[in-house]
Amino acid sequence: MSVSIIDITDLSKFYGKARGIEHVNLEIGEGEIFGFIGPNGAGKSTTIRILLNLIFPTGGSARIMGMDVIRETKKIKRQVGYVPSDASAYTSMDVNEFLNYCMRFYGVQNNAHRLAELSELFELDLKRKIAELSMGNRKKVSIVQSLLHNPKLLILDEPTTGLDPLMQANFFELLRSENQKGMTIFFSSHILGEIQMLCKRVAIIKEGKIIQLEDIETLRKKQLKKVYIEFGDQVSKGNFSIPGIESVITGSGTLLSFMYSGDINELVGLLAGRKIANLMIEEPSLEEIFMHYYK
Amino acid sequence: MNRNLFLMEMKRNAFSLILWMIVITLLISLTMSMYRTFVENQSKILGMMSLVPKGALQFKGISNFTDLLSVLGFYAANNIIYMMVLGSIFAIVLSSNTLLKEEYNKTAEYLLTRPLTRSEIFFSKMAVVFLYIFLLNLVTALAGFICMELVKTVPFSIKAFLILSLYTLLLNLLFGAIGLFLSTLVKRPKPVTTFSIGLVLIFYFIYTLSKITESAAKIGYLSPFKFVSVDAINPAYKLDPWHLLYFIGISLILIAISHRLYNRKDIYT
Repeated sequence: MSVSIIDITDLSKFYGKARGIEHVNLEIGEGEIFGFIGPNGAGKSTTIRILLNLIFPTGGSARIMGMDVIRETKKIKRQVGYVPSDASAYTSMDVNEFLNYCMRFYGVQNNAHRLAELSELFELDLKRKIAELSMGNRKKVSIVQSLLHNPKLLILDEPTTGLDPLMQANFFELLRSENQKGMTIFFSSHILGEIQMLCKRVAIIKEGKIIQLEDIETLRKKQLKKVYIEFGDQVSKGNFSIPGIESVITGSGTLLSFMYSGDINELVGLLAGRKIANLMIEEPSLEEIFMHYYK
Repeated sequence: MNRNLFLMEMKRNAFSLILWMIVITLLISLTMSMYRTFVENQSKILGMMSLVPKGALQFKGISNFTDLLSVLGFYAANNIIYMMVLGSIFAIVLSSNTLLKEEYNKTAEYLLTRPLTRSEIFFSKMAVVFLYIFLLNLVTALAGFICMELVKTVPFSIKAFLILSLYTLLLNLLFGAIGLFLSTLVKRPKPVTTFSIGLVLIFYFIYTLSKITESAAKIGYLSPFKFVSVDAINPAYKLDPWHLLYFIGISLILIAISHRLYNRKDIYT
């Protein structure tokens, strides 16, 4: 891996007795587009909030560009852009006022060219009051503000919520382009499709713990197979208890469908004496792999 | 302190400040406009007021009915309601919301992800709160002074007026510090406006109760109002250094604790 941009070591956060995240370890290299996926409440936003020093960890540490996220938060934030999941903003301001307010914190108030370029891409009306904007348009404002100061690291928390498909495509195109220029992107989402479309590596978080950290391609090419069998007679899933059968998707009557990570020869051997009407062994979709890890 | 945040905070709270300035100035002007009528009809009014239980007047900090005949005494009696109580409500509402509103309006995620330290955010916002409390006091005191100049029948002590105004300012600043402290104690993002206003009124109630009831005199020390002297027409009226120390000391302690708490606070939206 190239130089580490995000380095999370044994990071934990508890809200009283309630678990936020537990012993999370992650390392994200410079120039990566890294996917962070998990359902609501898994700990994605908690991890991001610690990275941005919105909340304090109960244990462990996190560094961004080699700097401690608590002690050196100001220096870090100069080089970080962030799109929160909730696109609330200062509703009394108009879009232009809000974006200029954001830019002034970085001393880039004269970056009119960048503002014009991004506003045009997202078809933003700079004169509109933020209070009047739809959720999708507020999201666009949020995306634009995160990019105005040309950050080295962009942290996105459910960034596509509210964006129409055309805008999503524009946004992904922009992310790819910024990534090619060197921007590292930390993309948190519960939508696997967009992670699959954009990211090279992914961490799956479940109940506050990282349960899988892989290249997207490796994850896809794992031994995991989706097996679909239609028997000639009634079958009980109890008869199929060889190592490697993981999550049974359907298992009633003459149909049996499951994820299989064992030796394919063993499975074929088991089926040899049975009357089979139909048999399909296929690569599971990333969605199915993801669901498999979540069961 | 961050200039960008400071200026934006000034802008965001300007309307509220102007509104409070207008309301309090109008109340002072309206009340002071009655002074001449009051003096001209003093025998009738004092006769009527003699029927009022003396304790009831303590709500306005008045010890003797005749205090009201002096323009400064008349102003001081009304000042305690308008500037001390209303000004303190303005101070505590403004200060308790300044940090907290970023959380319950869900804008904290924007502000706290800018290149700012928590201290910069805290002190920028606090500076606006204290500046606005000062401006409110300045404008309303000025309005009071002009009104007194216009309606006075005999000269009044400017020194006593300045001391009274300083007491008012110190009290308002203390409530500003209390508001900041309250906002850093709140764990979940929700407004504390009602609670803040209630707190000022409770402190005022404790103070008046301590003045009305001899047996409750000591509980008055629980209220900051107790440390404000409004006896402006007393020739010995002066700024008590212990009271000055009380206001400055408590305010600084609350600010220091609030700053420390805010620096370690988990911010949720």
